Amino acid sequence: MALKLKQSEFEIERDQNKCISCEVCVRQCSNDVHEYDSDQDTIYSDNSKCVGCRRCEALCPTGALKIRNREDQFKTNYNWTSSHLNNIYRQADSGGVLLTGMGSDRPYTIYWDHILFNASQVTNPSIDPLREPMEIRTFIGRKPDGLEFEMKKNKGSKEGLKNTNIRLKTRLSPQLDLSTPIMFSAMSYGSISFNACRSLAAAASEFGTYCNTGEGGMHKDLYKYANNTIVQVASGRYGVDTDYLNKGAAIEIKIGQGAKPGIGGHLPGEKVTEDISNTRMIPEGTDAISPAPHHDIYSIEDLAQLIYALKEATNWSKPVGVKVSAVHNIAPIASGVVRAGADFVTIDGLRGGTGAAPQTIRDNVGIPIELAIASVDERLREEGIRHRSSIIAAGSIRSSADVIKAIALGADAVYIGTAALVAMGCHLCQKCYTGKCNWGIATQDPYLTKRLNPEIGTRKLLNLLRGWSLEIKEMLGGAGINAIESLKSNREHLRGISLNDRELAILGIKHAGEAW
Amino acid sequence: MKRIYIQEEYCIGCRLCEIYCQVKHSKSKKIIKAFKEEMVDILPRVLVEEIGYNSFAIQCRHCSDAPCVEACISGAMQKNKNTGVVTCNEDKCVGCWSCIMVCPYGVIKRDLSGKKIASKCDLCIDEEIPVCVQNCPNEALKFMDKDAKEKNLVGNKGG
Amino acid sequence: MKSKNNNRKNNKTFEDNETIDYLIIGNSAAGLAAAESIRELDRAGEIIILTAENYLNYSKPMITYFLAGAVNLDMIHFKDEKFYTDNRLDIRLNTRVKSIDTNKMFLITDDGKRYEFRKLLIASGGRPIIPKIKVVGAGSFDFIDGTNYEKVGGIFTLTNLEDAIRVKNYIEKNDIKNISILGGGLIGLKAAEAFLEKGIDINIIELADRILATTFDREASGIIERKIKSAGSNIYRNNTIEEIYIESGKITGYKLKDGRKMECSLLIIAVGVNPDASFIESGSLDMVKGIIVDDHMRTSVKNIYAAGDVVEGPDMLSGGKRNIAIWPLAVRQGTAAGVNMAGRNKRYGGGFFMNSVELLGIPSISMGITNIGEEAEGIEVLRDFDADRNMYRKVIIKNNRIIGVILIGNIERAGIYSGLIRNEIDISSVKENISREDFGIIHLPTDYKKHLVVGEGIEV
Repeated sequence: MALKLKQSEFEIERDQNKCISCEVCVRQCSNDVHEYDSDQDTIYSDNSKCVGCRRCEALCPTGALKIRNREDQFKTNYNWTSSHLNNIYRQADSGGVLLTGMGSDRPYTIYWDHILFNASQVTNPSIDPLREPMEIRTFIGRKPDGLEFEMKKNKGSKEGLKNTNIRLKTRLSPQLDLSTPIMFSAMSYGSISFNACRSLAAAASEFGTYCNTGEGGMHKDLYKYANNTIVQVASGRYGVDTDYLNKGAAIEIKIGQGAKPGIGGHLPGEKVTEDISNTRMIPEGTDAISPAPHHDIYSIEDLAQLIYALKEATNWSKPVGVKVSAVHNIAPIASGVVRAGADFVTIDGLRGGTGAAPQTIRDNVGIPIELAIASVDERLREEGIRHRSSIIAAGSIRSSADVIKAIALGADAVYIGTAALVAMGCHLCQKCYTGKCNWGIATQDPYLTKRLNPEIGTRKLLNLLRGWSLEIKEMLGGAGINAIESLKSNREHLRGISLNDRELAILGIKHAGEAW
Repeated sequence: MKRIYIQEEYCIGCRLCEIYCQVKHSKSKKIIKAFKEEMVDILPRVLVEEIGYNSFAIQCRHCSDAPCVEACISGAMQKNKNTGVVTCNEDKCVGCWSCIMVCPYGVIKRDLSGKKIASKCDLCIDEEIPVCVQNCPNEALKFMDKDAKEKNLVGNKGG
Repeated sequence: MKSKNNNRKNNKTFEDNETIDYLIIGNSAAGLAAAESIRELDRAGEIIILTAENYLNYSKPMITYFLAGAVNLDMIHFKDEKFYTDNRLDIRLNTRVKSIDTNKMFLITDDGKRYEFRKLLIASGGRPIIPKIKVVGAGSFDFIDGTNYEKVGGIFTLTNLEDAIRVKNYIEKNDIKNISILGGGLIGLKAAEAFLEKGIDINIIELADRILATTFDREASGIIERKIKSAGSNIYRNNTIEEIYIESGKITGYKLKDGRKMECSLLIIAVGVNPDASFIESGSLDMVKGIIVDDHMRTSVKNIYAAGDVVEGPDMLSGGKRNIAIWPLAVRQGTAAGVNMAGRNKRYGGGFFMNSVELLGIPSISMGITNIGEEAEGIEVLRDFDADRNMYRKVIIKNNRIIGVILIGNIERAGIYSGLIRNEIDISSVKENISREDFGIIHLPTDYKKHLVVGEGIEV
């Protein structure tokens, strides 16, 4: 159109001395940014179509391309930032809800970056994880209130400990056995491509951790990874039948999601292909919008009923948990969920990612995961019920440092979503909802999905898990701890920096410089 | 003997294999110089075929019972008994195109840039891995032994 | 190049009265392919090759390239000396076979020697056809034919290297500016191209209504004809030479069938080649024009095999037996014959005609049955003709299988068609793509395409 109020976000710089007109950029851009002109033997680029995914830059064989951010040069206004102006321009044109993808990019305080970890010095020596045993194995599930043993003397032998068999009398609840406290977050088949799902499932299987189906149901070609897959029961109940429930390693009832608390999932019709339609059991081409509430859960008692119904349906053989968004009253909410019988509670913070969400909700609703975990862990301990559920932290875990900080704040394990996709090539252009992901991740277009080779994807995810696990072991060892269990909720290993008293109080940590 | 295997489902049609093949067979072996300064159009020995979202790169298979060796009237096309690689001796080739006529993969081309000769993949003998395989961004080409290929069932959806 | 009798591993010299394990007549495509495959399977057996010629070896299709100066005498061989020493082959040059006794299993050569054999391969190739033409002014004879044409100076055939050397020398010595070629077939046209490149004008006389009549249809021939004419040559179709004029023992001119008289100091006779089996006594083994062989290259006599231009072997497309005198089939037949002679089992699998020739910069390839009427039963023809760009593509289909192809101008990926013909692939599902200019593997029926893409290559 002639009048363009919203200008290009990106500028493409092409070094003509290096460009050999090989046309790889032309072929690889799903937004048709680059075009080859045979008369001039040159390639022209249309900045307005560029989404900043950097695919062309990554593949250019001579490094001739540079994708630069283009700063809007409005008159300086700290109140009316260019972001607000552009949103209004867009909305004045479309009249609809502004959609976006991935997690919130707003400059709220990132508490991970204000928390520092401890290290041993003199009295409690460091442990070298390459020489001594370092346990990061984690169990997710309800822990017993206490352990009861019974002693049985061997028949026909004398009294004495060596002739006595000690047996555990308490029956343990079903547990998930993780080789590292990191799992792959719920990302549905539909929001991401089949090859991406397969990479996640294969990597989880091979590493000994778990992935999550999200709302998309389980694809039949991924049944072989079912033992390492947590199946999700969301408000749309996509793909849910007894087969599905029994296949998974655990069941997660999705009440909310960090990126869009209070509303349900959204898969645009462009992404609902025949395969998705079969897996989710919905018509092809229609938007898949999950309702906000589960229509059979209107109170905490309803939730308890569903939890026990699912346990019954799967013969009490697997953990059944609940996923909630981190909102203001997350502490009592979590308490209620635990008392409702959940074996684990997943808490998804403000920064959680998504394939499609309204921008206003993503950026303005919810609270940061760091504060949520700390307050939930505190509340459950106060009430004496912390052992009844594992807590899983989600919502922008960006590094192994974030992982140990999360565990020290009270989580049993973390979910990584965005980090996993970035490992597979995502460049956070935030255009997942268009279905044109140039990296073959957030798309169903068969031309684009080829770009994610599951062999490569799996390898990269395994490398990520391996790298982070080694780093976790190094940091634990540095702090003189040899088991992740010893770190859980251990606020003493954390110190805040540049945080005010209220924040420190909520996080339950001292400020850097303070000692016992 | 290692050969190049094609995994059609992972070819993204970028044609970087063709470009690097051209660089490898250029005079300067440097990408910018080869494309901008060398006057002669270099023929890539690997060919990408594409329809819609299906594509794959194909090059000489270095067949065990190579029809091109059988058809060559000058003795230019020979299969090396040790490496198994089929190469065209440019000094002997007279450009009769009998090899083009019999190759069932159609992977031999006419090189008209100088003396007319047949041009095809030479498996990059002096490289550890052929450059097309090395530079495929999505690992759609694999360089391995026939036995390794059979054990490593590289599959598509679901495997 | 003398024979290498003393150069063998066990240093034993072969005596004339010993029986040879494997005796091969012919030192070209079929003969050497057979020798190689025998040696691969039989490390010890004696292999002796007899050739009437005086050269290490050379490929007959290369003769016209030699004429054009594209290749010289020391590069014309297709197997080098090392081939003979590595494979311990005893090569006897200048040894022409006179007769074979198919009962007692021995043969006699022109120099009176006797060779006894256990297994024999006849790979003697072909001889040029010389039509009987009336001559005027020769004195002692009234016509020329195969027995006496060499007596006339300036009349040559072009079937072996010796011919080519003599033609080359004659041109240089007599400063020839104009050559006539009787026969507009493959050899005649390749020779024409060689001469045109040297700046010599050409007259081509062809009996049929178009050049390359056996392999090309009217459109295809037309493209080549126009190019040849624009290069300054003349083509006389539906014509032949009725009389040849001779003076002082050399040709000076001739008269065409249509009455025109032409001046000429060099005439090439290139009307065709027949199997060279003159040394075989009629009735001693099954023959028509060529030696009849089965799918294992066996003749009607046990332990006698034949391969190459001298045979009439299984024709894959017509089903019967035909003489298809082309290089690739000679090699394939020789290989099969060798394997079978060494005691193993290998089927030839049948062959079909195919040819590749580039004339005046226009490449052309034809294969299979190309001259069949479109009205014939079950035949479908797809064609794409662009006269301006000298491009022609014709695909002949019978019962949904390709049986013939003509490509002019754009011969890229022609071999894909030969794979389709050979494997008898049903192309009904992809018919609309078959005659595209950019036709490729990706257009092929899925099963066959998968077989090509996933597999390693042609395997034994």
